Amino acid sequence: MATLIRVTGDWDVAEESTAGAFERAAATWPRAGVPRNPGAWLTTAARNLAMDRLRRRGVETDKLREWMDMHRGSDAGPHDPGDLATREPEWDDRLRLIFTCAHPALPLEARVALTLRSVGGLNTGEVARAFLVSESTMAQRLVRAKAKIAHAGIPYRVPPADALPERLSGVLAVLYLIYNEAYAATSGESLQRLDLAAEAIRLGRLVVDLLPQPEANALLALMLIQHARAAARVDADGELVSLEEQDRTLWNAAELAQGLELLSRRLDPQDWGPYRVQAEIQAVHARAATASETDWPAILGFYRLLPDTPVIELNRAIALGMAQGPDSGLAALARLADSGRLRAHHLLPAAQADLSRRAGLLDAAASFYRSAIALASTGPERRFLERRLSSLG
Amino acid sequence: MEYLLLYTNGTDPQPFDPSEGTIAEWIADVEARGVSEYGERLRPGQDATTVRVRKSEVLISEGPFTEAREWVGGFDVIDCSDLDEAIGIASKHPAARIGTVEVRPFMVWPDTPSGKRIVPPGFVENSTTGRRYVMFVCVDPSGETGGDDDVDTWVTEMDARGVRLFGDVLRPPSDATHVRVRRGETIIGDGPFSESKEWIAGLDLLEVSSLNEAIEIAAAHPMARGGALVLSPLWPFDPDGDQVARAQREAPELDMRSEPALGAVTG
Repeated sequence: MATLIRVTGDWDVAEESTAGAFERAAATWPRAGVPRNPGAWLTTAARNLAMDRLRRRGVETDKLREWMDMHRGSDAGPHDPGDLATREPEWDDRLRLIFTCAHPALPLEARVALTLRSVGGLNTGEVARAFLVSESTMAQRLVRAKAKIAHAGIPYRVPPADALPERLSGVLAVLYLIYNEAYAATSGESLQRLDLAAEAIRLGRLVVDLLPQPEANALLALMLIQHARAAARVDADGELVSLEEQDRTLWNAAELAQGLELLSRRLDPQDWGPYRVQAEIQAVHARAATASETDWPAILGFYRLLPDTPVIELNRAIALGMAQGPDSGLAALARLADSGRLRAHHLLPAAQADLSRRAGLLDAAASFYRSAIALASTGPERRFLERRLSSLG
Repeated sequence: MEYLLLYTNGTDPQPFDPSEGTIAEWIADVEARGVSEYGERLRPGQDATTVRVRKSEVLISEGPFTEAREWVGGFDVIDCSDLDEAIGIASKHPAARIGTVEVRPFMVWPDTPSGKRIVPPGFVENSTTGRRYVMFVCVDPSGETGGDDDVDTWVTEMDARGVRLFGDVLRPPSDATHVRVRRGETIIGDGPFSESKEWIAGLDLLEVSSLNEAIEIAAAHPMARGGALVLSPLWPFDPDGDQVARAQREAPELDMRSEPALGAVTG
């Protein structure tokens, strides 16, 4: 589809033709047998359909001619090896598609939806369900996004070198948003939406394959290490299990190994981006055979590399409490509470409750748990806090 | 593609630092690249005049049509390959460091002949005889619905009179891109998801003998009933001059209306 978009310059034609090719395959293959190269069969079928559609629409002849030239070229044999774009047209097209879908001129939610739809290949209904909106709402969001690409003149290409780091971080932000949407649903009963997490990881692998930049590798590592814990994160009743209490034998060894392998590539910590630091933090947890063996001073050091946002400060305070004793952590959390910046967020009183409990301040812990319960937005999180509260005795 | 760059003070105005690039350098760059069609600075908000027609009555007020909102301090019409190039051009303009540049694509009509430009060939930048106003055509929720909204009659008449130099319709704000530069970093934002209550839908450049004539022309526009027209006088300046000294020199003008008082033009 990415190739079709480039050649036709028309997202709808490309989408319709790709879908049409799959339909044709579903109708033909059971009868005539699966072709020797199914991928090439589909590509050719989609190209032919797109050409028909463009002809029917009366598209200018020069666009068709350009199309035919390109088609002929690909049949004629190897291209100039010096030109990366023509040597590996599909590589280039997929990357173009990723950067176009994540263009910062599009609203963030449209970037996410478009990436899942066009790069991930999810259908509109699947994207709609992933974000708990109706299919018609999602369809409209996608139509608007595609209209803006056309009307605002968003180019279909990989950004020039000077803009690439900035745009790549935009692409990674979209992937991480998809991942986080899966990891902790913002509301409702379902705590994890595993299919979205897997989709984010699949897209992450694609980006790493296409453009193995350090931060892309680091984001993939971060997602893999977190995702490796998915099975241990909820118990048989669907209830939340804290990292400390998780059965570490349930962690997915293959995903952990892949994540850690990505982090084994040498990079001066001075050049670490935020994803690398977060992945390193998760790697410390992953390397600890038991919770009590966690290297909290190392985690604290990594949190100090991250910028001062309220959530980072919260996690830094927790790490401080775990590394140097609950009292210093509680003092840092109290300062954060005084600043009022995490008001209405259950994570702050939950952290205060946990460190109070560790410090033996059970009355304070109970009071913080009650505040956190009142603010928690998902059922599993609320029930986890309620269990903690009742276990205080 | 043709874009309108609107320079606004934005929500977090910053002081101007000429060492990070001047307007003269920006103009030299866009002219060298051949992407510039036309641009002007506009007089401050108090010199704007807003024209509406409600119940067949012409309503005129001083200042921009929205209260305490961003003010458009200037604009450029550019013609470049795509949005990324437009963003690059916008980000180099000093206004991106001081305020916000709104990048708005022009509407492309199905019957527009290819090669037609917003600013017509032969357009003379400096007026010889008349006064020039940019007339922003604005959507305003208080506008009257129904009636004849065909703008073609107005365009034909004003072109024949020689008072309309050029103009066109913009794509809606949802197709806009906002560009700011803070601490050397380009920050790109999408246009508002749901269109805000009042917004600029197009612009025309008028050349008239007086504010009075501009008001008469604006009142004849169909959007005077359906929305609002904002007449903003141009504010030429020497781009090669010392911009900081100029800002100091002009400071007293920022709160003083230099346009005729409305009583004088309508009385």
